[in-house]
Amino acid sequence: MDSFDLLLKGFVEVFKWQDMIALVIGLCVGMAVSVLPGLGLVMGVVLALPFTYSMSLETSIILLTAIYMSGTYAGCYTAILYKIPGEPMDVPLLWDGWGMTMRGEAAKALGWALVAALIGGLVSSAVMVSLAGPLSRLALSFGAPEYFAAVFFGLTTVVALAGKSLPNALISMCIGLLISTIGIDSTYGSERFTFGSDVLLNGVPFVMVLVGMYGFGEILDKIGQGSKSITLPAVGSTATSLPSWSELWGLRATFARSTAIGTLLGLIPGAGATISSFVSYGIERQYGKRGRQIGTGIPEGIVAPQIASTASVAGHMVPLLTLGLPGSGATAVILAAFLLHGVQPGPFMLKNPESAQIVYTILASMFVSVIGMCLLGFVWIRLVIKVLKVPQGILIAVIALFALIGAFADRNSMSDLWIVVVFGVIAWIMERVKLPVAPMVLGAILGPIAEDSFTRSMITFHDDWTVFFQSPISAVLMLLSLVSLVFPMIKSALQSRRRSRQVTLVEAAISANSG
Amino acid sequence: MLRPRMVLKVAVLIAGVCGPVSAMAETFPSRPITFIVPWGAGGGADQLARIVSKLVEPELKVSVPIINMPGATGQTGHTKLVTSPADGYTVEVMTGDTFALFIAKNARFKLDQITPLAVMIQQPSGFFANATGSLQTWDDVQKIVGDKELRMAVTGYGSPDDMSVNYFKNKAMKFQSVSFAEPGMRYASVVGGQSDLIYEQAGDIRSFIDGKQIKPVLFFSKKPVEGFEDVPYSGKLGYNVFLPQFRVIVARAGTDPAIVKTLSAALAKAADTNEFRDYLKLQYAEKNSFIGPAESLKFMKDWLAEASQLSQANSDAALVK
Repeated sequence: MDSFDLLLKGFVEVFKWQDMIALVIGLCVGMAVSVLPGLGLVMGVVLALPFTYSMSLETSIILLTAIYMSGTYAGCYTAILYKIPGEPMDVPLLWDGWGMTMRGEAAKALGWALVAALIGGLVSSAVMVSLAGPLSRLALSFGAPEYFAAVFFGLTTVVALAGKSLPNALISMCIGLLISTIGIDSTYGSERFTFGSDVLLNGVPFVMVLVGMYGFGEILDKIGQGSKSITLPAVGSTATSLPSWSELWGLRATFARSTAIGTLLGLIPGAGATISSFVSYGIERQYGKRGRQIGTGIPEGIVAPQIASTASVAGHMVPLLTLGLPGSGATAVILAAFLLHGVQPGPFMLKNPESAQIVYTILASMFVSVIGMCLLGFVWIRLVIKVLKVPQGILIAVIALFALIGAFADRNSMSDLWIVVVFGVIAWIMERVKLPVAPMVLGAILGPIAEDSFTRSMITFHDDWTVFFQSPISAVLMLLSLVSLVFPMIKSALQSRRRSRQVTLVEAAISANSG
Repeated sequence: MLRPRMVLKVAVLIAGVCGPVSAMAETFPSRPITFIVPWGAGGGADQLARIVSKLVEPELKVSVPIINMPGATGQTGHTKLVTSPADGYTVEVMTGDTFALFIAKNARFKLDQITPLAVMIQQPSGFFANATGSLQTWDDVQKIVGDKELRMAVTGYGSPDDMSVNYFKNKAMKFQSVSFAEPGMRYASVVGGQSDLIYEQAGDIRSFIDGKQIKPVLFFSKKPVEGFEDVPYSGKLGYNVFLPQFRVIVARAGTDPAIVKTLSAALAKAADTNEFRDYLKLQYAEKNSFIGPAESLKFMKDWLAEASQLSQANSDAALVK
């Protein structure tokens, strides 16, 4: 039986009642956990794992994959509506999503996110199912230097977040990078900036920085504004939430770029939805038709990270099923579910007809999950949008509660709650001294991965920094990064020079006239 | 001479002190037992904890929920154990990687802070290479490692992996440890050719072995490894390095012996099930991996002494160099 027949038979299997129920439950669980700030999709998969013991292998994996898939989507609700990302991968979404919400276009923003998730999920699943072999081999050729170059490019999205002052944004990002170094370093195991404290020994997890700075910081801000709190513009019509065909066609290049990035980066072990989302946003900022407007609240800023996040699921699931490689936290737990059922996923699974059918049924379930997730999302948008009408005071209390529950659930540690509160206060202060918060969160999220891949490159290539420019992939990524960092500086230097020359000319003209 | 009333007072006092403990041991367990996994979900320790939790729940008649507390080579979760009450309601699965940290002079943790309940799994470690690459056997490795540097993927520096690699480095073999904390990235590095070899346990990379992507070239064992009888092992080649990977379930020191007995008995029953035996087989683990509480302590002490000796020998050899 060839792959296509196996896939078709897989679709028939997915529509059997046990698998269908598991899929729908999985989609709902994934949506619920990723909406709660701090309680990520990995936690959702972990929490569901014990319930799969008594299920068949196929049903178990379909359930967990559905949680994984919808977990990459539903975080957009809180990011777009409340400026609180449910997951690190949702951070780039809020930069433009919140801007659209502030203009009263929340339903439209959520509609863009939904279409992005649908297209990203379906296209990447189709690409991965048909080209799993060659693409996986390409991903495996990614070494530490290429990895570092991709993360470095992700860090250069700081330019998009700079707002009025690039130096302020860079300072903020460096603070974020510095925070990511606290704790025991992953390479040599040495303690850094722990000051003998057990709390700091474990480091400052970026999830806490994220929940603290966006979730708690936002809450403090609203409390500070008291009754003067800005009320969001009333939402017009929820019926117009989905983009039109002509609007979609206008963003075709964004869709193509971001799907490719999400699928390819998703393939690389350890890269995951977060890096895909940041890199895709950065690429859009650099090469999108309206790149300069990114960050002000345009659909491209929502579509690019959302597509990449959802596309990365297929990028991770297919190497797990075909090579046995768990590339992300969620796929590591799904691998555990395989092993608890006494099965090792890997290439040999495709050689045995019975297990090959299981693999293709799981692949088929990915397509059904994407469609089911978007149908659920479509219903949700209409309900969720009404939440904007809930009084601010009640909303703040509910968000604070969920932010703290999510923060605690990540590592079952009370000290993490304090970290959330401390970073909330830091964000509140930073807003007042005109230091942007977003670059610091960016630094804290990408810092550990950047440091790890940089150190590994240095160890492997005996401190030869030119290694980042030797392979074609890393060289291209590094050059793009440098251009995106240096270009705005040169541009602003030229502009200020031109301005000062104009001022001099005007002054000369005035003095000539007065003379 | 003691008056009867005095005797009664003393008796009440003794009962007051000992009573609750004995009563607690008798009714143990009366509420859920927290099972700490000091590593992320999905890893080897997590898999073991989940299968053990599932198998001991019917024995203990309470639920045994797992909480993952990853961080700092298992130290985060271990801190939680040693700061919890010694009442048997908190247990932890500990791995050789965390245990290796005990040999440091200023180690944060000591063996006398814990009571082992049972060693559940022992797996021989080894060096593995890409099955389609130029290194097919240990002879192939030896032929080139004197002249050309070979990259070895390990979990981290100072780990048993690194100690074993350093042993060979001191034998004029040009190995270079490259640390990958994430298992997926470690495996991918050797499949994708970023690393020449990987230090691992066969069970953890079974899918790659079965899929003919990775193959063992040397095991650290005193006897041939079952399933890989034709692969050389350290004992045969005269290398004094063995350190197996093991995972032990521990409670806090000072836990009532009766409670320790109850928990160990439940673990012994779990280890005796067909499901657990199948799990060991799937993991290429020792058939007789299980070690009861008394012998576990001796096993851990011996392992620690061996690791310490290896670490010292490596330092001495490096100094001589």
